[in-house]
Amino acid sequence: MNHSKPQSNRFFTLIWLTLIVLTVMTFSLGEAGMSGKGVMLTLLAITMIKSQLVANYFMGLRNTKFLWRAIMFGYFVIVGGLIAVAYLMSLK
Amino acid sequence: MNEPSSTINQEDLPGDFAIWIFIFAEMLAFGVLFVTYAFTRAKNVELFNASQLTLSRTSGAINTLVLITSSYFVVQGLAAIKLGLNKHCAHWLTGAFLLGGVFVGIKMVEFHAKFAADITMSTNNFYMFYLSLTFFHFMHVLMGMVILAVIIMKAKRGGYSAQDHVGVETGASFWHMVDFLWIILFPLIYIIR
Repeated sequence: MNHSKPQSNRFFTLIWLTLIVLTVMTFSLGEAGMSGKGVMLTLLAITMIKSQLVANYFMGLRNTKFLWRAIMFGYFVIVGGLIAVAYLMSLK
Repeated sequence: MNEPSSTINQEDLPGDFAIWIFIFAEMLAFGVLFVTYAFTRAKNVELFNASQLTLSRTSGAINTLVLITSSYFVVQGLAAIKLGLNKHCAHWLTGAFLLGGVFVGIKMVEFHAKFAADITMSTNNFYMFYLSLTFFHFMHVLMGMVILAVIIMKAKRGGYSAQDHVGVETGASFWHMVDFLWIILFPLIYIIR
C-alpha cells in the first residue's frame, strides 16, 4: 500500500516553474557562449535535476517502488556520466 | 478481501506496464545515441563546435519550454480524471496536444532552414547526429500527439472515471518520456560545447 500523500496542484505548478527557471539557466549559459569543464558539469547537473523532477513528479515515479526510481536515476548517472567522460576527454 | 485482477497497485508504474517496456527500450536507444554523439564529438571537437553554432538555441529553448509546459498540462489532465472530471481532463490534454503542435511547427521550421542551406545527414558527423536524433525524437512527438488525440476523444465521450483511467496514465507516461528525452537532448546538442 502506498502511504505517500497525493501532491497538490500548487506543488506541480512549483515543479513546472522550477523546470522553466532551470531551462532559462541552461539557455543563458549557452547564449553567453561559455564552455569548459565547470560549465559542462553545471549544465549536466541542471539536466539531471530537470530529468529527475520530470521522472519523479510528472511521471509519478515518486510514489512507486524504489526499483523504478533507481532505473530512472541510474539511467541519467550512466548516460550523463559517459557524456561527461567524453567531454573531459575532449578538453585534454 | 479478494481484489479484482485489474486493480492497480499504487507502488507499480502508472498506466499499462507494456508502455513502460516501450519507454525503457526507447530510453535505451536514445541513451546509446547520446553517448555515441558525445564520444564522436570528442574526436571532432572543432567541427562539432562550429556546426553547433549554426543551430538556433532560441528555437531549442522555446521547444523545451513548450514540452515542459505540455507535460504540466498532462499532469493536470491526469489529476482531473482522478477526480472523475472527463471534460476537464480533455481540456488539459487538448492544451498539451496543441503545444505538441507548436513543437512540431518550430521543429519543421528548423529542419526547413537546414535543408534550404543544403545541409543533410551526409554534410558532416555533427549534422548526421543532429538530424537523426532530432528527427527520431520528432517522430515520438507525433506518436505522442496521436495517443493524446485518442485519449482526448475518449475523455470527451466520458470514457474514463476516477476508478478507471489506466489509458490516461499510459498516454501521460509516454508524453512525459518525450519530454524527459528532450530535456537531455537540448543541452547536449544545442548548448554544451
